[in-house]
Formats: sequence, structure tokens, C-alpha cells
Amino acid sequence: MNHPVRLTFNGKEIEVEKGTLLIEAAKVAGAELPHFCYHPKLKYDANCRMCIVEIEKMPKLQTSCSTVVAEGMVVRSNTDRVKEAQNGVMAFLLGNHPLDCPECDQGGECQLQDFAHRYSPTVGSFGETKRVFEKEYFGPLIEKEMNRCVSCLRCVRYCDEVIGANALGSMDRGSVTEIGGFAHHPLDCEFCGGCIQICPVGALTSRASMYDYRPWQVKKTDTICTYCGDGCLMTMETIDDKVIRTSSKLGVGRNEGDLCAKGFFGYGFINHQERLTRPIIIQNGKMQQVTWEWAIKKAASDFMAIKEKYGPEAIGGIIGAHSTNEETYLFYKLMRDIIGTPHVDSAARYGDVNAHQALNAAFSTTCLMRYEDIVGADLILSFAGDMTETNPICAIKVKEAVRKNKAKLIAIDAFNTQRDTYKSHLPHIASLHLQIKMGTEGVVILGLIKILASQATPSPVLSADYIQRMKQATESISFEMIEAISGISKATLGEVAKRYAGASKAVLIVGSAITRNSNGYQNMLNIADLALLAGQVAKEGAGILALTDCPNGGGDPSGGSERPAPVGRENAGVVTRGKTLVEIIDAVERGEIKALYIVGDNPVRSLPQKRVEAAFKKLDLLICQELFMTETAAAADIVLPAASFAEKEGHYTSQEGEAQKVRKAIDPIGTSKPDWAVFSLIAEKMNAPFGFKSVNDIWKERVLSLPPAPTLEEMVSHIDAFCAAPRQFILPFAASSNGIKDLFHLQVGKTLSHAGKMSTYADGLNLITPNQSILIHPDDAERLGIVAGETIEISFPNGDTGSIQMPIALSNRLALGTLFVPEHCSMEIKRGLPFETDPVTHVPYGNYGQVRLSKVAVAV
Amino acid sequence: MPTYEKILLKNMEQPGYTGSLSDYRKTGGYMALEKVLKGIAPAEVIDTIKRSGLRGRGGAGFPTGVKWSFIPKDHPGPKYLCCNADESEPGTFKDRQLIENDPHQMLEGITIACYAIGAQTAYVYIRGEFFLGAKIIQGAIDELYQAQLLGKKILGSNFNLDIYVHRGAGAYICGEETALLESIEGKRGKPRTKPPFPATHGLYQKPTVVNNVETLSNVPHIINRGPEWFAAIGTAKSTGTRIFSVSGPVNRPGNYEVPLGITFREMIEEHAGGMKEGKRLKAIIPGGASASFFTSEHLDVKMDFESVAAAGSMLGSGGVTVMDDETCMVAATLNLLEFFHHESCGKCTPCREGSAWLLQILRRIEGGEGRREDLAQLEQLSHRIEGMTICAFGDAEVAPILSTLKHFRAEYEAHIDEKHCPFRPNLALAMAVP
Ligand SMILES: Cc1cc2nc3c(=O)[nH]c(=O)nc-3n(C[C@H](O)[C@H](O)[C@H](O)COP(=O)(O)O)c2cc1C
Ligand code: SF4
Ligand code: SF4
Ligand code: SF4
Ligand code: FES
Repeated sequence: MNHPVRLTFNGKEIEVEKGTLLIEAAKVAGAELPHFCYHPKLKYDANCRMCIVEIEKMPKLQTSCSTVVAEGMVVRSNTDRVKEAQNGVMAFLLGNHPLDCPECDQGGECQLQDFAHRYSPTVGSFGETKRVFEKEYFGPLIEKEMNRCVSCLRCVRYCDEVIGANALGSMDRGSVTEIGGFAHHPLDCEFCGGCIQICPVGALTSRASMYDYRPWQVKKTDTICTYCGDGCLMTMETIDDKVIRTSSKLGVGRNEGDLCAKGFFGYGFINHQERLTRPIIIQNGKMQQVTWEWAIKKAASDFMAIKEKYGPEAIGGIIGAHSTNEETYLFYKLMRDIIGTPHVDSAARYGDVNAHQALNAAFSTTCLMRYEDIVGADLILSFAGDMTETNPICAIKVKEAVRKNKAKLIAIDAFNTQRDTYKSHLPHIASLHLQIKMGTEGVVILGLIKILASQATPSPVLSADYIQRMKQATESISFEMIEAISGISKATLGEVAKRYAGASKAVLIVGSAITRNSNGYQNMLNIADLALLAGQVAKEGAGILALTDCPNGGGDPSGGSERPAPVGRENAGVVTRGKTLVEIIDAVERGEIKALYIVGDNPVRSLPQKRVEAAFKKLDLLICQELFMTETAAAADIVLPAASFAEKEGHYTSQEGEAQKVRKAIDPIGTSKPDWAVFSLIAEKMNAPFGFKSVNDIWKERVLSLPPAPTLEEMVSHIDAFCAAPRQFILPFAASSNGIKDLFHLQVGKTLSHAGKMSTYADGLNLITPNQSILIHPDDAERLGIVAGETIEISFPNGDTGSIQMPIALSNRLALGTLFVPEHCSMEIKRGLPFETDPVTHVPYGNYGQVRLSKVAVAV
Repeated sequence: MPTYEKILLKNMEQPGYTGSLSDYRKTGGYMALEKVLKGIAPAEVIDTIKRSGLRGRGGAGFPTGVKWSFIPKDHPGPKYLCCNADESEPGTFKDRQLIENDPHQMLEGITIACYAIGAQTAYVYIRGEFFLGAKIIQGAIDELYQAQLLGKKILGSNFNLDIYVHRGAGAYICGEETALLESIEGKRGKPRTKPPFPATHGLYQKPTVVNNVETLSNVPHIINRGPEWFAAIGTAKSTGTRIFSVSGPVNRPGNYEVPLGITFREMIEEHAGGMKEGKRLKAIIPGGASASFFTSEHLDVKMDFESVAAAGSMLGSGGVTVMDDETCMVAATLNLLEFFHHESCGKCTPCREGSAWLLQILRRIEGGEGRREDLAQLEQLSHRIEGMTICAFGDAEVAPILSTLKHFRAEYEAHIDEKHCPFRPNLALAMAVP
């Protein structure tokens, strides 16, 4: 305690930190004060008046939620006067309450029930006619039952203060006050479910789980959400083998009890009726269910036969993003040690390896900061304009820093500053937003490096040598060129560089715009230089964070087939031990790889579809382990039903580097099995059992297999070596200098309610965005003479892939001349987009391209 | 009839006085401002107001100089002054007269107050229905900018000030000082929990003084004539004059400016010309709708803060409503509760829920459906609201109930026993609330 304050509470002497609210101090004295409007996450509002206490020398009773402790204060909550006042407030709150607890989803976990039980007489005194509000709905997922509302405004304050969506407000006044959207506009809701969770009563409830449960019937299991790499702790609430709902606990987990639409409403895929429940073999297009015994035996013997015939290197493996650390580890072990092939890779190859290998190359670690550093930063430099959509909880940290701690946000991205439905669209709350031309992040980074190098003065951290090298390396890059490509002037870059380097604690956050787009690895290395030159890395409170959409994004840093280069830039590449994702597909195409084992990944969707499908046709054996009959599974010979994250144990390591426990909430659906169990069975059948008794044993071995975290000295000497390596900067290909007129820049990415394919199996999320549309700025649509919902034709100037048709949706968030296609409906589009792989990390790039739009002629 | 020197209504009662800047200056207007800008330090101005004993005329009667002295001296960043011209208290209409007929008296007071507390921005928050008043104040402000009495470097000093008129949108609660601040900030006009007080966390969370129109209008006179002069008027603790708005069945309803401390009897019988022919006084609301009722037995209570408080009510907004013996006290209370229920902002539980509950019971009693237990319940509910709410509205809404139950209980009982209102036996009332 830095500044202890002593006071007396109900006769007990207590000592608490200065600034503590009485309601919190009461807990120290062992008293829980009844309350409705108070919530530790929110600024106090003191409107319910339930938490009153008597304070000596103060004639009136005081609300303990708004009163700060003072030295020598004498406080009582156990006097007759306080009790009568509590009875009074309860009588007022219960007067108009419908007492429909038996059919209320909150019944059993309701603060009104709990406090009514303790603080009001058993007989009510209200003898008048009750006020009645009609039941209403906030959109497809939230039910509003205002007769149960205690007007505590927690929902409104949460939506304002934490989410920043400002979707709710109190409407009307006096005894007919109710919660609603402003001026009867449609809700600007982000469907985080926070208002439902924070409502102390059953006034706001989830329609996704309406009447499905009584709270005391559910079994609660704490686990980690799989929808992105934020690493949110969530509670799975289940009855028998069904996930009823998900929730989160105040202040707990890296998300501190906040969730997003995907986390709160996205559990529907787990019990989806299309889940695979039995192993299947597909022969000549015919599917047949088989027993596990049979399937495992077949898989093992087929592997052995191919190994026998073509050698182990004719077998390849790919493991997806939803497998745990243990499973990924075990998969590599199975493939490398038992089957004996080096050609294994993982979903980290879709982009995370760019960040991991670059940061490792520069700093010997990827764990350079924590979420607390975002909240505590005075400046946030973000290359993730879609953070609210891709990594919503990380975005909440940014919003907290900006709103509560007055941090400055500099956002660099190709989005519009303006927002539409998402009020918390980050560029909109930035104090400086650089709207760059799509895909030109790398150019802007070089511009910033050039400015910082020209201004840097040598210091113990920055050697004169390094500064000189950086100056020389950027010499040939002119600001005119930078501006022509990115649209950003020298003056603006200068301002950003000044603020970034001048901040006392600045964090740099990069998103998929960098890690998953062309030149990603080099851009990430340059990010490291940028942070070094600005002095904003390897320092308390500063750092770099690379966002990912993989729940285990931090757990599989280099993919299965590669190890990062030990030190320095001269060989900034990596030591390749085996083929990477796209190389594996290529080898399949060439006939070198004859058998492929794909676990939880769907390359048909994420890589150029036709090319992958053609390659798969050449395989002797394709085994796919999946939750659903995906495009890849449909092309397989053997399909093994996998258990989802809700059905297994293990660990996910978040983008922050936090290894967290995944816990089994329900038994595997049907006969499905966790990936690790399947690997163990195959190994056993290949006469090489792993011998692990539990998942925990695998975890222990995996932890031991990791290189130890670098010491401070090691890190410093590593950075020195990195700085000492020669530099050569080449202006990346100018994405916008294409020359053909009237082309749109198109980007594929994640949305708030959908991340890839899994989310499309969640009914809740499908209700939020029922249509699969391509987003376009309203002005562009008007120029083209098309209206929302209309179908347009998209064609590709750089390919011969023909054209595709899709309905449009309007969004002010998009910059003029740009288009956005949600990933879950991007398979067709991707066919026409240019495809390349990173020269160093071999990350596939196929999410960006230029397209032409035209109106679809309507037959009359 | 005793006559007294008027301070605030003096100018406007001169024949031909228009309230224009030139008229106001002819009466010595803006000399007080000149005096302070030319040589009285802010702290000294505050001290002068303290010594004058001036107390707030908006309702609570808080000493004005003391309020000003709460503003942190060396606070970096802006400070504000808000002039409360929301005058919405039923039965009160004195600020309107000051605004419409002598706006510069108030504006000079605002300017001096801003100088004293170090504010460079002031807002006049005016009741939405006062469109004429808003126009007049804006006109007066325009005159001041033209005469360089507002804006930068006023009268060659280093003092800058801008004054803005902010019109309310019709909610009574916006007269409550923190709701007023929320409303200026563009939010819904709902009171804030205090502490913190506006003096430290006011408009936009900056140090702020909120003062009533009449309070501020007194300021130039105190500067011109000295605090001792002012303190000598009225009683020892209630100094100066007050404008009382007298309404009801009296011969001359209207605004009367008198020294604090004359009796209600003098006010009603002398100044207001006594009860109308054939009417007998039954009850007085001494200080606006929020004040507890008095009866004819209180006629000799002195009209100063202490005496009225000692007799169980408050001087409040200065609205004196007189009722005669044909008035049903239950109906009068119900009438007030209809108002309070309609105006409760709904932010805090006891007032939001209690106002509707009380109203339903009163409607039943007045409509002949009262029960014996109702009276005890009215009292219990009132006590559960009193002192338990965010703002003083809660105390206000129960004051009429508790005081009429105390002074006129028999009338309530008659309603219940006879199953109709003794004054309006054929009354039919809608019962449901809202
Ligand atoms: C419900 C309520 C309504 C009020 N309405 C007014 C009003 O219309 N005008 C006013 O001057 N003060 C009003 N007040 C009092 C103000 O809150 C505040 O005390 C006053 O403006 C301070 O100015 P003074 O110190 O000059 O009196 C009201 C108070 C309450 C609780
Ligand atoms: S779900 Fe989230 S964004 Fe939507 S209204 Fe509730 S708190 Fe606001
Ligand atoms: S809906 Fe729930 S959280 Fe919102 S004001 Fe009502 S009771 Fe409070
Ligand atoms: S007492 Fe009434 S008017 Fe005042 S804050 Fe509470 S609900 Fe609003
Ligand atoms: S919890 Fe303190 S007033 Fe509501």
C-alpha cells in the first residue's frame, strides 16, 4: 500500500489504499454492500441508492459507491437507519417488477433476487397498478424486457465507456425511463454482449440462449476463446453435451472479462448438426462411415506403404490454427520422428511466421510487450485499422488507453477515418489518422525510418554506425516517391516520427495488413528498425505487438518446417528444414509428395482453389482431420472427425505470448477425438507409441523442448548483432501505380462477426450479418449507379479468371476506391487475385488485388 | 403600507426605462465593473461579497461569496460561471422580470463574478419557454460586445470574457445546478451525484460557479454601495432584499421586492393587497412548489432564511402561493405531485419509483378510493425518498405531502371516509400512472 488510509467500518479498524471507494473498503471489513449500479469496470453513477451507509458527522446517508475513504472516517452499514433505507430502495425497485422470475433467464443469478432475499420484507407493500412496458428486441440477438430493468444504466455506461459503441441510452424520463437506442435509430451495436453480461437483472438477455437453461443447471468451464489470438478467457456454460452460452468474468483473464461478438455469440458451431461424428472414407466420390479402429489402421498402413514405396519425404503434413500447443507439437513429432518427413507446416505460415521470424531475428524473442503496456502507453502507433474487427479485445485496450488515459493514437491504414455502424472503428478515434493507399504500409515504414535515421543521435542504444547505415540505406528513397506511392507527405511522416520517438512510452501494433500482405517479412524487419530508431522497444512500457487471428498464434512461432536464423541480418533468412505450406502443395503437384495429412486446415479455401484442387487429385492419399466436411475434407480419402476446442484439454499461446489452459467443457461430439488422441492412435498403430499418459505429459515435454527465453544480456547482444548487419532497403512494388484506370483496390479480411469459416457455423453470428457481401464506399457505389444489396460483377485485369458476381453493402469505413471482402465469403474472389509467396518466409499472399467493377445488366 | 428602497426593481420602475445599455449606463450601470477592473483584486471582490452576507436566491440560500471562494485559485485551464435563468419552480416569476426588463444588471453581475473567480466564459442557461428573455439577453450581450464591454481586454484591462446564452428544452430538472451543467454539455439533463461539487468538478469537469439571476443582479450594487450598506438591509443573517412572487386569491398578485425579514402577514395583507373579497386564507406555500406548506397560523413568521426554516419550511425560490379555504388540500398536493411526477428525471430509484407510487395513492384518495392505510404509506414512502436521492428534487416532491398530512390530515381522512373529495364530490379521476 502506497498511501494507506485508516478508517472504521462497522466497528472494525481497516486500512485501505488512498482513493478507495467505500463499497470496496467494506469488503476489506468483510461486509458486502448491496448494490445495483456500481460496477468496478465503470465510473460510478450512484443512481440506485442501494449501497448507502451511515458516516459519522454526515447528516445524510451516503452512497458508498461514490464516496472515497478518508482518514479516520467512521462508517456503518449495520444500523437500523441503513436497514430501513435499504428496505425502502428495495420496495421501490420491486414495486413495479413483474416478479416473472420463473421464466426469466437471469433467475438464479440475479442481483435483484439476491438482494431482495436479504434486504426486503417478505410481504410487499405496493398496492397500485404496475407499470408495463412491452417486450422489445435490440436486433436479432438481444431481448429487452424493461419491466425487469432497475435503471442502473450499467448497460449504457458499459457500451459507452468500455466498447465505445454508444449504442444505448436512457429514453424518456421519470417512472417511464427505459433503455433504448438513441432517437429510435437502429442500434449501432457491435454485439459484444457486454450489456447483457453487465445487466444485474434479466432486463437484457441473449436471444441465442433464450429459455434454454436455468443458471444453476449449467456446468461452467473456464477456457480460451479460439476466434483470434487475443487470448480471451471465457466460461463455457454447458448442459450435458451442449454449449448453452459463453460468458466471462469481471476482471479475470487477459480480456478482464470483456468479450466480442465472436466470443459471446459464436459458440454455435460446437454443437452444429453438421459436425462430423464418425470417421469417413471417400472412394470414387462415395462416402462411407467406418469405425475408428478401421480408419486408424488404414491411415497407418497407407502411410507405411507410401513410406516404403517412395520414402518418407513423399509424405507431407499441415496442421491448422485451432490445434493446441500439445497437438501441434505431437503432430510434428509424429511426422518428423515416426513417419520421418521434414515436410510439415502449420497455419502460422499464413502470416504469423512473418512477425515471429522478423521479431526473433531482431530481438531474439517475440514477446516484446503486454496488453498492460497498451493501456499504459502515452502513444499507440497502429498499423491495424481493422483491429476492432480482427482483434476486438486488443482494440478495447487501445480504446481504454485513448479514452481513460488520454493516450494518443496514430493510425496508419487504408481505411476511411469516418465510421459507419462501428463507432469504435479505431481510425475514427485516432488523434492522427494517415489514410494511406491500400497496401503501401511498407513504403510508409521506410519513410518513417528515413526521417528517424536523419534525426537520430548516437546513444548507448543506437550506435553511430547503425544510424549511419540506416541513413545510407534510405538515401536513394525519396520522399516524392514515398508520397506518390502511399499518398503521405514528408511533413506528415515527420509529424508521426516526431510524436512516436518523442513519446515517453509508445507501443507499435501491427495487424494483418502487414503480416499477411506482400513483402510481409521485410516489412516486419523494418518495423523492428523503426522501433529501434525511435527508441520504443526493449524498454519498459514500450514494444511491438503483432496481432494474429490464430488462438495459438504465439505458440507455434516458426511453423513446423523451419527454424529462425540464429542471429543477424546477413542471413536474415531462415534455415529451411523442410517444405513450407505452398511448397508442399507445389511438391504434391509435381508428384513428389504422394500423401498428405491435413489437420484442421482448409487450403482449398485459403490458397488458390483450383491449383490446390488439381494438386490434391494427384495424391495417393489425403487424410483430413476436421470438424466439418470442408472443401479439403471432401477431397480426402479418409476423413477423421476432430473434437473442437470445447471438447479437449491443452494450451493456447496468445499473440502476447501467454500460454493459457484450454479446458474440456463437453465430451467430444459423436465419436470425434481430440487431435492429440488421433496422433497417438496412429503412432501406436505404426508401432511407435508416444507413451504419454495425459495431455499434461505432452505439455511438459513440449515446454522442455523449447529454447529458454533469452536473458537480458543475450537479448542486448542479439540486438547489437542485428543492428550491426548491413541494410539494404528497396521500395516495395508500388501497389497503386498500376496505370489501368478505374480499378478498385480489394482486400480480403476479417469482420467483427466472422473470422474464417468456423464462424459461419455459428447461428448467432449469422444473424448479425446474414448476407455475404462485398463492402464499398457509398460514394463509389453512387458513382457506379449501384445500390446496397444490388449484385455487381467483379473482374480481374491481371488474370484470365473470368468474373464473379456478389451483392454489395455500403460502408463509410472504406476509403474511396477500395473494396473489402469478408474472408468467410472470399473463396471465389481469391481465385482471381494475384498470388505470390514471400521470398524469405514463403508466406502466401493472395488477399489483395485490383479489380474492376461493373453493373450487372438486368434482363428485362 | 410600509415602503422600502428597491435595489433590483428600481431601474425598471423608472418611467421610460427600456433596459438598453445606454439606459442602464445612465443609472450608473457598469461603474461597478469599471471599479473592480481598475483596482480591486479578485480576492477582494470575493471578500466584499462575503462581507455583504449575500445568499443565493435560487433556492438553497448558500452564501455567495463563500461559494466563489471554493473555486481553486491556481487551477490551470478554464473555469466557468453559469447563470441559472431556468426559473421553472411553479409560482415563481421574478427572474423573468429581471431578465426582460433589466438584463444588463444581471450581465454586469455575471461579468464581475467571472472576474472574481477567474472565469473567461460564462453561460446564461435560460428556460426554454423564455424566448423573449433569451432574445433580450442576446441583444444585451451584442450591445456589450459592440461597446467592448465583453470580449478581449475589457475596459483596457487584462480581463477577457465571453458570455453565451444557452436555452433549455423544457425540463424542470435542468434548473438543478448539476443537471444544468450536463445540459450545457449536450447531455441529457440529469443531476450528478455530489460530491464532487461544481466548484471543483463543474462544467466539463472544470471549476464552475452556478448562481441564480437574482443573486448575480445584486452584485453590482454591492460593489457600488459597499458590503456594509447591503448587510444593513434585512436581518443579521439574511441580508439585502428579495423579490417574492405572490400568487393566489389576493388582490394584487405580483412581484414584490422587500427587505428580508418582513412577515408573511405584511407581505400578503399590505403589499399584495390582502385576500380577495370573501376569501379566507387557508394555506401558504412560502418558497415555491418545493417548500412545505404553511397555514394561517404562520402569518407572523418572518420572511428570512432562518425564520422560515425554523417554522419548518424554506424560502426556496421566493414563490409565495396563497390558497383560500375553498381549496382542497389533497387536490393541491395532488396537483403538485402531478407536476413532480412529470418532471422527475428518473435517474435515481427513490424519486423515479416513489413519485409514481405517491401519485397513484394521491389520485386514489382524491378520487374517492382512498384507504385508511394510505396515509401511513404516504408518510413511509415520503420518508424513504427524503434525503435518499441524488438531488434535492426528492426532498421537494415529498414536502407538500408531509406538510399537508401534518397540517390538514383531517381533510385526507374526510376524503377516505366519505369516499369522495369534500370539495369536488362528483370528481372522476384517471387512476393509472403513467
Ligand atoms: C429540482 C431543482 C430545481 C431547481 N431549479 C432552479 C431554478 O430554476 N433556478 C435557480 O436559480 N435555481 C434552481 N435550483 C437551485 C440550483 O440547484 C442552485 O442551487 C442555484 O442555481 C444556485 O444559485 P444561488 O446560489 O445563486 O442560489 C434548483 C434546484 C433543484 C434541486
Ligand atoms: S452488445 Fe455491446 S455494443 Fe451492442 S449495445 Fe450491448 S454493449 Fe453496446
Ligand atoms: S437494462 Fe439492465 S443494465 Fe441496463 S439499466 Fe436496466 S437493469 Fe441496468
Ligand atoms: S431526485 Fe429525482 S430529479 Fe433528482 S436525480 Fe433523482 S430522479 Fe432525478
Ligand atoms: S451502487 Fe451505489 S448508488 Fe447504486
